[in-house]
Amino acid sequence: MKAANQLPSDVHKRTFLQKMKKANNRGDFATVFMLAPSIILLLVVSVYPFIWVFRYICYDYNGITSYFTGTHNIVRAFQDVTFWKSVLHTFEYAGLKIVFIIPIALLMAVFMKQKIKGSELFRGIYFMPTIISAAISSMVFAFIFASYNGILNAVLRSVGFLDKNVNWLGDTKTAMWVVLVVAVWGGFGNYMIYFMSGLSSIADDVYESAKIDGANGIQTFFKITLPLLSPMLKVILMLAITGAFKDYEAIMVLTQGGPNNRTQVMFLYIYQLIFGSQTSSPQIGYATVLSLIASLIVGLVTAIYLFISRKLDDVI
Amino acid sequence: MKKSKNAAVLSNGSRIARAVIFIIMVVISLLTIYPVIYVVLGAFKENGELLVGGTSIFPKKWIVSNFIQAWQEANFAVYTMNSIYLAFGVMTLSLIISSMAGYVFARKKFPGKELIYGVFVAFMFINVGSVTLRPLFELAIKLHMNTSLFSVILISAGGGQATYIFLVRAYMKTVPRELDEAARIDGCTFFQTFYRVILPLLKPILATIALLSFRGGWNEYILPLVFTMTNQAKRPLTVGVTMLKNSGDGAAAWNIMFAGATISIIPILLIYLFTSRQFIQGLTAGAVKG
Repeated sequence: MKAANQLPSDVHKRTFLQKMKKANNRGDFATVFMLAPSIILLLVVSVYPFIWVFRYICYDYNGITSYFTGTHNIVRAFQDVTFWKSVLHTFEYAGLKIVFIIPIALLMAVFMKQKIKGSELFRGIYFMPTIISAAISSMVFAFIFASYNGILNAVLRSVGFLDKNVNWLGDTKTAMWVVLVVAVWGGFGNYMIYFMSGLSSIADDVYESAKIDGANGIQTFFKITLPLLSPMLKVILMLAITGAFKDYEAIMVLTQGGPNNRTQVMFLYIYQLIFGSQTSSPQIGYATVLSLIASLIVGLVTAIYLFISRKLDDVI
Repeated sequence: MKKSKNAAVLSNGSRIARAVIFIIMVVISLLTIYPVIYVVLGAFKENGELLVGGTSIFPKKWIVSNFIQAWQEANFAVYTMNSIYLAFGVMTLSLIISSMAGYVFARKKFPGKELIYGVFVAFMFINVGSVTLRPLFELAIKLHMNTSLFSVILISAGGGQATYIFLVRAYMKTVPRELDEAARIDGCTFFQTFYRVILPLLKPILATIALLSFRGGWNEYILPLVFTMTNQAKRPLTVGVTMLKNSGDGAAAWNIMFAGATISIIPILLIYLFTSRQFIQGLTAGAVKG
């Protein structure tokens, strides 16, 4: 009786132990242990904040207390002139950044291919800004563009281009351009490297035969390089667009969105709402609504870009 | 014969074209390098000279007291230590977690693998921007880690890990599976196979990840800014220097800010000087495969 009772549980025990042993031999536990840190970090750093964003949509929350306010945040978002202006500025900033940065990066990458003396050195220099913190380089540019003792004004005055100091960062007409100069300076080397890796995949024979057919440099560029590069170009453009829409670190240091919100971009405005400033307390619930709108805008832009680039595929 | 003829035909036009290209490249190089030289040389100027301005980028009188002052009076010794801690922390953590996860994703079959991998990919694209700092900050407060740089290390490494995991996973394709099998037959467990056999072979890609993640940690700005808002002693250089600019008395302390910016730029620049090739290759690999 006793033995009969023990038997099934013994069998069960053995199979369980055997299973564990087999799993151990296969390395299942090691797998869990090796994957755990990455997955835990992914859950805490990426997944959790994403879910959290939805929590305060209908609340007025200042970091300490929260009140239910219904649809108030959403209504407010659509009436918030500062926010929609910042959306416009984001488009302006991203559009202009790409208009300048992509041609410069592509041109430099093409030049690199000519194997001119010192190419290696030039490449190293062009890429250098990308290893320096955007915060630090923005501060350096703030010194260069400073109105009273900035070196740019001093130089321009000494050669006679200006008769009085320009307040580059404090003037609504020039501030966005300064922001763009810093963005292009800090980023074109990065995209140049992407283009160079795209160019290296084009076979040299193609260029050889173009040369033999008597094509000049400009013809070669438009008739050969550009079409052959276009798959890569699309990926790079996409990276550039999504990247440019998310920039706000440099602007935060350069102008803090000023003067008069002229350089305010979406994610900087949202940042200021989330953490508040000396004059206003955080408005977190409202900021979560805005950040959802902002990420929808970025998603929409990406989708439109993908749609257009696919259409272009059919045409060309 | 054909080749020499070709060269002769092209030589006149192309020589001019190449000269023009060369000049353009030199000009852009100068524009690119100028701000860095300006700030490094400016750090040797007297504060009086900086406050007056002027067109010269060379100091009238070379001094080093700016650095001494920044180091001793303006807390830059602390900021530098914090930056080093932050950069090495992010680098070490990134190396450990991404090499393990990348290996598992490359070699191990298990249910749900594609799903987990998909979540990693998805969250490279899902981005609600600056707002995510708030829940992380509040979480850190709950865990009493809100003034510690360790939470900054965790968040920074967590945010960057996906790219590095892809790099390791892609690199594993160049490592023959026979090596794993041979190690298993010789009696290595799964982890020993990874640790003793595979890890040494991953050195090149780990060097790239080390560089990229070190740069990431060293240059981190908004994250440590949020986490050290009320705790000056934990600020890294990026935050410490820019805080001076925005504070009221900063306007008169240009010399300290120049010295601080220089202290922040020089180490990473030196690393770059010796490793620019790996840096650039790593970036290309990350962009193409990630």
